Amino acid sequence: MTELTTKTNSGYAKSVLKNTFSQISARIGFYWIAAVALLAIFAPFIANSHPYLMKTTDGISSPLLQHLIPADVIIIVIFITVIVLYFLKKNLAFNVLALLTVLVVSTILSFALIKPPQLVVYEKYREMERNNQLEWVVNAPIPYSAKDYLRDYGETGMEQPLADDKRNHWFGTEQSGADVLSRMIHACRIALGIGFVATGIAMLIGVILGGLMGYFSGIVDMLGMRLVEIFEAIPTLFLLLTFVAFFGSSLYLMMVIIGLTTWPGYARFVRAEYLKLRRMDYVQSAIACGLPLRSILFRHMLPNGIAPVLVAASFGVASAILFEATLSFLGLGLVDNPSWGQMLNQAVQSASFYWWMAFFPGGAIFFTVFAYNLMGESLRDAIDPYLKKKT
Amino acid sequence: MAEPLIQVDQLRTYLRSGDKTVKAVDDVSFTIQRGETYCLVGESGSGKSITALSIMRLLPKDITSHPSGAITFQKNAEPGGAIELLETDQEDMRTIRGSRIAMIFQEPMNSLNPVYTIGEQIMEALQIHWPDMSDEQARQKTIAALADVQIPNPEQRVDEYPHRLSGGQRQRVMIAMAMACEPDLLIADEPTTALDVTVQAEILRLMQELQQRKSMSILFITHDFGVVAQIGHKLGVMKHGEIVEQGAVQDVLSNPQHDYTKQLLAALPENLKQNNRAAMLAAFRVKQKANKEEADLINIENLKVYFPIKKGVFRHTVDNVKAVDDVSLSIRQGQILALVGESGCGKTTLGRALLRLEEPTSGVFSYAGNVLSSLSQKQILPYRRDLQFIFQDPMSSLNPRLNIATTLIEPMAVHGIGKNKDERIALAQDVMQQVQLDPEYIWRYPHEFSGGQRQRIGIARSLVLNPKFIVCDEVTSALDVSVQAEILDILLKLRADRELTLLFITHNISVVEYISDEIAVMYKGKIVERGDTDQVTSSPQHEYTQKLLSAVPRLHH
Repeated sequence: MTELTTKTNSGYAKSVLKNTFSQISARIGFYWIAAVALLAIFAPFIANSHPYLMKTTDGISSPLLQHLIPADVIIIVIFITVIVLYFLKKNLAFNVLALLTVLVVSTILSFALIKPPQLVVYEKYREMERNNQLEWVVNAPIPYSAKDYLRDYGETGMEQPLADDKRNHWFGTEQSGADVLSRMIHACRIALGIGFVATGIAMLIGVILGGLMGYFSGIVDMLGMRLVEIFEAIPTLFLLLTFVAFFGSSLYLMMVIIGLTTWPGYARFVRAEYLKLRRMDYVQSAIACGLPLRSILFRHMLPNGIAPVLVAASFGVASAILFEATLSFLGLGLVDNPSWGQMLNQAVQSASFYWWMAFFPGGAIFFTVFAYNLMGESLRDAIDPYLKKKT
Repeated sequence: MAEPLIQVDQLRTYLRSGDKTVKAVDDVSFTIQRGETYCLVGESGSGKSITALSIMRLLPKDITSHPSGAITFQKNAEPGGAIELLETDQEDMRTIRGSRIAMIFQEPMNSLNPVYTIGEQIMEALQIHWPDMSDEQARQKTIAALADVQIPNPEQRVDEYPHRLSGGQRQRVMIAMAMACEPDLLIADEPTTALDVTVQAEILRLMQELQQRKSMSILFITHDFGVVAQIGHKLGVMKHGEIVEQGAVQDVLSNPQHDYTKQLLAALPENLKQNNRAAMLAAFRVKQKANKEEADLINIENLKVYFPIKKGVFRHTVDNVKAVDDVSLSIRQGQILALVGESGCGKTTLGRALLRLEEPTSGVFSYAGNVLSSLSQKQILPYRRDLQFIFQDPMSSLNPRLNIATTLIEPMAVHGIGKNKDERIALAQDVMQQVQLDPEYIWRYPHEFSGGQRQRIGIARSLVLNPKFIVCDEVTSALDVSVQAEILDILLKLRADRELTLLFITHNISVVEYISDEIAVMYKGKIVERGDTDQVTSSPQHEYTQKLLSAVPRLHH
């Protein structure tokens, strides 16, 4: 959605957005995604074993800030940049350029400057508190990291929500004893990341290939469509299974494979749009004015043909999230890192049914996929000229 | 005088759109006698069609309201048989629609259902209105109706699907369908606007003939005063939902009372001619005489543009559509050459081929001595600045996502006109003034403009590159007559100021007579006649030109 708002500030984009979000379902979907996104961005500040601030005999220190990894810093810097750019209201080129610069600079700086400790001992602060080494301490709202298996409490695996009065596990604990709520919050990043990156890769390939096919038609179109058909014939899930079996599970591999196998849908959409747009008078006049191909394809045609692709993309994000959840559920996903599908998997692994492991991550997957579909449907209705005529 | 067939009294139709109310029809009163043709004339958006749809009660109920008004329809011939249409419920309306009041629409291509044969569609209408009619009777009546509208071989044609028929034939089928139930009133909403002028003449003649035979009344909606002069008995001129003037056709046309009617009539190309054109032309001709020895700017030799029809697995070419078939033509510097012909005769293809927007199959054409036909798309880029195109449809010729400034200055930047952005914007604003638009408008987006304004922007876009030659493809056919007059004057003025050479593609003969120096008549891909405009229009030599000119509905017979 943010893509559409920044893409063009023309009247059309505004009216489409207004139409989309005048529907209550789109607003609900957007609020949910926004909430998930905020949780993802600020995950280390919401759920962390490291206290915000503490005072020891050595003085005041902030273990949480010391343990931030470069990725956390980059995400927060980008988030702040987006907010600032939104209020500056500059044009699209400036926004994209500023964002890219900030991204590159913050990546280089954070990897160069931020060196979190290699060895992380989550229990340390609780031990210190028990031994009265802390004068005072300010903890995160959920004082458990995603990978804090609570070794100092002994065996804590598969506890029901709020089963222990000493520890507040609102959503219970999982197999290895970590807090489910904390893991779910940290898993937001993976859920959103895989959706956006995989769909982004697919859209990029799809728009470029589909655009070329539609614009040139003829032999380019014929060859391109055969390529599309070849890629459409590849079953994404089985390819993912194969790759995971051979190369081990890696989030980035998953993103790339999902992106590489789902682009044909976008290519078809863009091709169809471009075949239509190519005959439009304003494209013909761009050709007649002798404009370069790049400008014709991406400046005159793309903004007019992107709307159906964005609709497809919002459904695509949902299906990418499901792919990851499916893989993790099958036990082929991420091993140590938290993921909703992986937690869902744990719910059914032994003879007894751990309802909290099914209910909360399952609900999160359901509502996120549902939210994307709601937004996709509203967007589709908003750009549908036939529906508009009726109202 | 007998009771009028239909009496519309102070009709108001308000349409709700969002939280706004549009007064589409505002206090309209008129009457139509039996056997009479009443013409409603007005520019687009004046409420002509809404009036017709109000009579048919076809407007969507939830957004329509009639704050006042009455439509009294004489259902039976004897006195007291009148009914009030606005108060009739939808169930009773259904028995009136089609059987007593029939309607035909503008677009014959869309108004027939493509999955049924034309016979089935007419028979269905018949059997709904006369439920006890047998299939055989209905079929005979359908064939008779098709014969009535002069469809050749009605016995065979009755089983054909709409796609087998031409536009004119489809409109005849629509008329046959409307007439089959022998209605008392036929509402025709721009029935000939989408048709060629020769076909239009036939349809109009047919409607007149049928009307006399069946003594039917017609409410004829049009924007074309020529058609009115030919077919109408009475005339109502509409503006902003009101009838500003009405009366007998000849009275109104020869002696208009209301300012708006005068204005509309003055804007007709055939009336424009007498006013400012003469002076402008004379001045120009003097200038042109001096340059007479100059070489032709555009030279076309044996140009052919074929579109192959491919079939089979290997897509081999089985035949060609010969859009432009062996055309040789030359256009002198500073001349306006009008290319006239019916739809599908290849005139637009010829114009597009000159700019290499369509690839020529064979033949040579050159611009100022440079052969363009054999250049690659890359080699032709430098020439693009000299040769420009203005498109027919102002709604689709501007990119809706770019503001006018971007649309205008991007080609300038590509061709190196102006040193920087500010200079280009200043140049663009200059051009905006030349097409009589406020220079500040360049910061707006296309949807904020009316059709006429957009067409001016289209002209401005082609002018920013300082072209020498412009192909104008039906630039005024989507515009109202008063706007058309303004656009034509802008073009004439620009031609004089900038010594432009124009290829003016149109189907409208009166526009041609007004604007062009020379005329080339195109028929089935070939140029059949070419000559001085006044000469060709006064004494056409080729058979087709004669037919074309005689079919043009004229204001003054």
